[in-house]
Amino acid sequence: MKLSTHYNRVNILTSSVTLIITGVIYYFFIHLILTNKLDKDLAVEENEIRQYTHTYQKLPLPATYLDQQVSYRQSPGNSNDIREFNNTTYLNQKENEQEPGRSLVTTVNLKGQNIQVTITKSRVESEDLVRVILLITLGVTLILLVSMFIINRFILSRLWMPFYNTLKRMKSFEVTKMEALSRDTTRIDEFIELNQSVNAMADRVKQDYRELKSFTDNASHEMMTPLAVINSKLDSLLQSEPFTQQQGTLLEDIYQATGRLSRLHQSLLLLAKIENNLITDAQEIDLKDLVESKVRQFQELFEKDILTIEVRLSNKTVVMSRYLADIVLNNLFSNAVRHNLHGGRIVIELSETALVISNTGKNFNEKERLFDRFSKSNESEGLGLGLAITKQVCNLYGYQITYQQINGLHIFSVFFKS
Amino acid sequence: MKILIVEDEHALYESIFAYFTGEGNICEHAPDFDTASEKIELYSYDCILLDLGLPGGEGLDLLSKLKKSNKKDGVLIISARHSLDDRLSGLDLGADDYLVKPFHLSELKARVSAIVRRKNFDGDNVIKFNEIKVDVSARKITVNDNSFTLTKKEFDLLVYFLSNKNKVVTKNAMAEHLWGDEMDLSDDFDFIYTHVKNLKKKLAEAGANDYIKSVYGIGYKFTDA
Repeated sequence: MKLSTHYNRVNILTSSVTLIITGVIYYFFIHLILTNKLDKDLAVEENEIRQYTHTYQKLPLPATYLDQQVSYRQSPGNSNDIREFNNTTYLNQKENEQEPGRSLVTTVNLKGQNIQVTITKSRVESEDLVRVILLITLGVTLILLVSMFIINRFILSRLWMPFYNTLKRMKSFEVTKMEALSRDTTRIDEFIELNQSVNAMADRVKQDYRELKSFTDNASHEMMTPLAVINSKLDSLLQSEPFTQQQGTLLEDIYQATGRLSRLHQSLLLLAKIENNLITDAQEIDLKDLVESKVRQFQELFEKDILTIEVRLSNKTVVMSRYLADIVLNNLFSNAVRHNLHGGRIVIELSETALVISNTGKNFNEKERLFDRFSKSNESEGLGLGLAITKQVCNLYGYQITYQQINGLHIFSVFFKS
Repeated sequence: MKILIVEDEHALYESIFAYFTGEGNICEHAPDFDTASEKIELYSYDCILLDLGLPGGEGLDLLSKLKKSNKKDGVLIISARHSLDDRLSGLDLGADDYLVKPFHLSELKARVSAIVRRKNFDGDNVIKFNEIKVDVSARKITVNDNSFTLTKKEFDLLVYFLSNKNKVVTKNAMAEHLWGDEMDLSDDFDFIYTHVKNLKKKLAEAGANDYIKSVYGIGYKFTDA
């Protein structure tokens, strides 16, 4: 639910309830006050009749005024000291219609006789007053609700505009692009504060990103430099011929370990980069073309183990980093070669939905940990990072990679995002 | 050729210096930004080996300075930074090539030679070694004026050998040169042997001497010594 809808709902509901309750209370209080006033008037009249009766020892004339009637009647014997106020209706003789009235029934003592006196006053005026007050209240309620609706509808949405603008910018925020997030000018303090906080946050994120990037760069630099020195010294040492067969073997071992170390290091850096989304050169890639060139590139390796290659490719373009696409294919291909049997088979299929690479190979049981880092079979010469990197790249682009073993075939499938 | 090595790591500089010196090559050293800046301004070089992270400044700034003053020196960036951004901005700024540390000295030499050949001979990109003549841009090879053909890999291999004359080149370096270092090859480079054998055979058939010597199973050396 939108904030404004929610706010509208609560606002209109509470105002309606409050106004209605106020109206009801108003009605009752005014009613009460007016009735009290009528009762007082009736009591004054009663008092006058009593004094008249007391002084002159006779009843005053049962006069009928515009809005007042007095009538007498012989009191039934035992109804001494009745005194009660009632709401009644009476006949207004002037207008000849029934009107609501307030009456006081009381008794006066005249020459030992109890006379029941009924004084009635018109309630029309007070009823009118109450009605007018009620109508005004209702009118005000209605106007208030309508104006609130209009304010919410038009003014609120304009008031919230800067918020939605900021939100839109946050949605399209990319950490690699070094632009300020919102430069919107607004006079609302809260939105100014929001913009400031959002900008500060974006700055912090960018700062962190820069630090991470420079850390990766520095780590790479710091570790690669000694590796480069070792490598170059080995190359130099190699030129200082002649050396013995044994020294040659030692040199070769050191070369291999150094090469392995630098590949390992590069792979770890690459993983960190992919995880932190630092590789951003996504572009359209003709995957069929790339797979074909990769097959050519691996030709010698296929021939070495006398592998039969079956290639079935249909056209497919993907949007991803060329560098990463290359790495994924390298990993899957070298995996298929490395874990193959001598004289085995590799099938490469590319369709609109998936890239499937199957190879013959030894039975293999550690399926769960296959894509984990540093998980590899004992006899493998690889680093144990290739499939982890491949999986990470697939995650980055929303592809799904699966492994199956069917009839002695190891099948890796990369399903593209549909 | 005259080469400027802009590299703050002294040990690395020494190795490069030792590998490149000889055969009439002159190497100079600039260990920091200011020295490099001064040398680039005063002299001209066939090729500048440029490290990116330098004491006193960024290697890329040296590059843009060089290009602004319209100098024709070849530039090869050697960097430990494997970042695509750096690679792209380096090449955008006009560097001729980009090599990531750690590298094989033989690879460095091959790349520098390629840059210098391109710069100096204006399209006439030919390497001569005794009776062997290789036209790199036309990809033609002649021995005593007999021309014959090599596969792409054999040709690249021969150019690589010729750029590293009299040096022991490891099978590892050769494999990385021919297949790229991204390939995560297995450590078994025996398939290099097939290519070398074929190359030797074709050269011998064309009447060239056998210059390719195997060195203790670790690599090869192209030499007439």
